[in-house]
Amino acid sequence: MRVLLVEDEPDLRRQLAETVAAAGYAVDQTGDGEEGHFLGDTEPYDAVILDLGLPGMDGLSVLERWRKDGRAMPVLVLTARDRWRDKVAGIDAGADDYLAKPFVMEELLARLRALIRRSTGHASNDLEYAGLRIDTRAASVTVDGNPIKLTALEYRLLAYLMHHQGRILSRTELIEHLYDQDFDRDSNTIEVFVGRLRKKLGRDLIQTERGLGYRLAAPGDAT
Amino acid sequence: MQLNSLAFRLVAGAALWSMAILIAGGVLLSSLFRDAVETAFDDRLLALLESLLAATEVDPETGIELTRPLGDPRFEQTYSGFYWQIDGPAASLRSRSLFDQALVLPRRESGISAFTSSDPGPNGETLRIVTRDIARPGFERRFNYTVAANIQAVEAQITRFNGTLVWSLGVLVIGLLAAMLVQIRFGLQPLRRLRGDLVDIRHGKADRLVGRYPAEIAPLAAELNALIAHSAAVVERARTQAGNLAHALKTPLSVMANETTAAQGPLADAVARQVTAMRKQIDHHLARAQAAASANVLGARTPAAEVIEDLRRTLERIHAARNITIETVRPGDAAFRGDRQDLEEMVGNLADNACKWARTKVRIIVSRRHDQIEILVEDDGPGLAEDQRVQMLQRGARLDESVPGSGLGLAIVQDIAALYGGDLALGAAPSGGLQARLRLPLAPPIAN
Repeated sequence: MRVLLVEDEPDLRRQLAETVAAAGYAVDQTGDGEEGHFLGDTEPYDAVILDLGLPGMDGLSVLERWRKDGRAMPVLVLTARDRWRDKVAGIDAGADDYLAKPFVMEELLARLRALIRRSTGHASNDLEYAGLRIDTRAASVTVDGNPIKLTALEYRLLAYLMHHQGRILSRTELIEHLYDQDFDRDSNTIEVFVGRLRKKLGRDLIQTERGLGYRLAAPGDAT
Repeated sequence: MQLNSLAFRLVAGAALWSMAILIAGGVLLSSLFRDAVETAFDDRLLALLESLLAATEVDPETGIELTRPLGDPRFEQTYSGFYWQIDGPAASLRSRSLFDQALVLPRRESGISAFTSSDPGPNGETLRIVTRDIARPGFERRFNYTVAANIQAVEAQITRFNGTLVWSLGVLVIGLLAAMLVQIRFGLQPLRRLRGDLVDIRHGKADRLVGRYPAEIAPLAAELNALIAHSAAVVERARTQAGNLAHALKTPLSVMANETTAAQGPLADAVARQVTAMRKQIDHHLARAQAAASANVLGARTPAAEVIEDLRRTLERIHAARNITIETVRPGDAAFRGDRQDLEEMVGNLADNACKWARTKVRIIVSRRHDQIEILVEDDGPGLAEDQRVQMLQRGARLDESVPGSGLGLAIVQDIAALYGGDLALGAAPSGGLQARLRLPLAPPIAN
């Protein structure tokens, strides 16, 4: 899961980036509206945390332009302006949720999880597949009730697969959603992580679709 | 009519000068009439004197002799009021009507003169006398010819005239004053209309003076409109500045709050508590300042249906994860007499609260009650016991005792409602959930 963070206050941006990264997300961050708009327009994010008072281009304009160009990723608007007039304007501009400053990080993470869950069509924080279960709140994984230890990147890959159960996911898509933009991308690393996950979780869990990518088969398709 | 009014001043002024003019005119007319009537009477007496002169002959031997009667029978009747008298150096001659009396003539210059006698006549009447000294051939001293007549007829005529004069001038005064009153009512009518329009603005029926006013009042109306616009602009500026201040403070507060959650120890705890307190103070005072500034804006009028529709759309999106539907019942065209953002804050906080507790559905019901608009916000959640409901409102009212994350929203709703003279009450919804009842001043319907 890859998240774009657009916030102009450096301290708050650092805190947000650390918290969101610690929760298992790849994070791209910027303090500039123009750059934020460009990133959201060109990179495939699973969610965006968007401050409204930004230099360059204000948050509402950024959001409106994304929506006009058909960018549909869930956007959590972050602002000190918490009058209902502002909230209505934010939602009407295309925001999916609205969080007023000051806020507690747990609240932000809960909202972020809910947005991603909703956009991928899941109703619960717990995702399950053939005895495998991940709790997106705690970023914990169990197989048949036994806890499994995963590294941050392994968890991120597994969470993305779990959110998109039944879909074939290409290596490129996986790379785009697992790493932030500064990461040195090498599609072979995906194979390495898939190998590690298979070792920890069982060989048959992740299927290789030759020439296309990987998938978790939907529960009915499991072989 | 009030003593201290433009109408009274104008009417009193007009009454004063028209009375003065009419009295002076009346006196002048009356004296002119008296002169004219007396002159005519004197002319008649003079003519009689001439006849008398022509009808008498004087002889140094025999004295005065009336050669033919004067023709007017009244000179023959005793005390008829018409008399003549001739006094000569040797003898006198008098009309029969004088019987045994004589006319008393005051001392005077010789020649001809006409006057009203101060002595009563033979019959006690007031006499008008014309007398003339005439030299006759053969006599050294002059003869005095006098004709007198009762002036009563003339006085009666003058009295009748004066009566008519006073009566008609009185009618004229009353007519003038009545016309003056009508004119004032008509002339001051635009002022009354201006006042009516201002009342409409205060009651929220209009937001500016739109009528056409006469040239003298049009600048006043324009100034009032400018004043209304200025007060709205001042409020808007104050609101913007308060918002800017809040915005400037909230981001640093976020940073501090986040740092304290990451750190451990008593310092972090103390800072965390103080940050929470600061956040609440900012929210509370910001909401109050913004509402207080706008509660007094003239001409504010907010249709409830529009605000509720905006909030419904927004809240369904914010609470999309929990699939809450918001149902609006009978929004109609009822309008709140106040600022749009304040209504949004109140209904928004109540509806947001309801969405948090609802299982599936929130209902917002709008109705009119006399001069109030009533907005019910109901959820189908677990609801609250009565003592809890009472506690909720009390806790909201005392900021310092409130627990983080609860009560503040309700406190803001209560504060804003109170500024508008409305109130907030909590009760049980028919579905068992919580029902918040907000009552606010109703804006009167816009007159077409």
